[in-house]
Amino acid sequence: MKRIGETSKTGGIAWLLQRISAVILFVLLLSHFITYHFIGKGAIEYSKIIEKMQQWWFPLIQFLFLITALYHGLNGVWTVIEDYVHSKGWRIFLYSLLITVGVTFLFVGILTIVNGSFIKLNK
Amino acid sequence: MHKRIKFFDPTYYKFVGSWAWILHRLSGIALIFYLSLHLWVINTLTKGPETFNKVMVFLNQPLFKILEIGLWGVILFHAFNGIRIVIVDFYKGSLFHKRLFYFFIIIALLLWVAGSYMLISHIHWGGN
Repeated sequence: MKRIGETSKTGGIAWLLQRISAVILFVLLLSHFITYHFIGKGAIEYSKIIEKMQQWWFPLIQFLFLITALYHGLNGVWTVIEDYVHSKGWRIFLYSLLITVGVTFLFVGILTIVNGSFIKLNK
Repeated sequence: MHKRIKFFDPTYYKFVGSWAWILHRLSGIALIFYLSLHLWVINTLTKGPETFNKVMVFLNQPLFKILEIGLWGVILFHAFNGIRIVIVDFYKGSLFHKRLFYFFIIIALLLWVAGSYMLISHIHWGGN
């Protein structure tokens, strides 16, 4: 059984984390977009991306980016579900879906980071 | 019991804050879909250079560059309105949240125009 105090406490932490991740994402997402999406004319090349990914800080920053983006996005959708979905069954279904999506894309993202950052290029 | 929130209650939509609120939700939902798609597409990096380059050439078509201009707009709106929310929540923002909204929207618009110009100039119209 949750008392009112307890639920408001957990909600408060989620509220705070949403704002902390917002500030982190503001910096990381805008710099990511500027460095990767405005990269220049022509298609992005594998070798150029791998070269960028080999810098020592790349996996650290990208891992931080991945977890904050997934947390912020899925916590946002969680809040939206809380506001509009009131049946218990639908809530359980949608929350499970969110957690599944989160874990899946966390895994997908980590695979990409590890593969690109630690691959040995035989040039 | 929570008071049920209507997605679109017309009595509130004469206020700029209500528009900021609903647009923040809608842009957020759009962005989580894009993030999933992006993580999935970028994962082709693990399939080796040939597959990755093929996907990147495919995405270099004008259509995707134009979609990217829209994406840049959605990101800027969500980012700058989000920073406004943080300021409003942690500082006495309720006193000036409307002015803050217009201020950040103008900055976001300027960045959107600049970024869109970059993206348009990168479009390779003659196919690949």
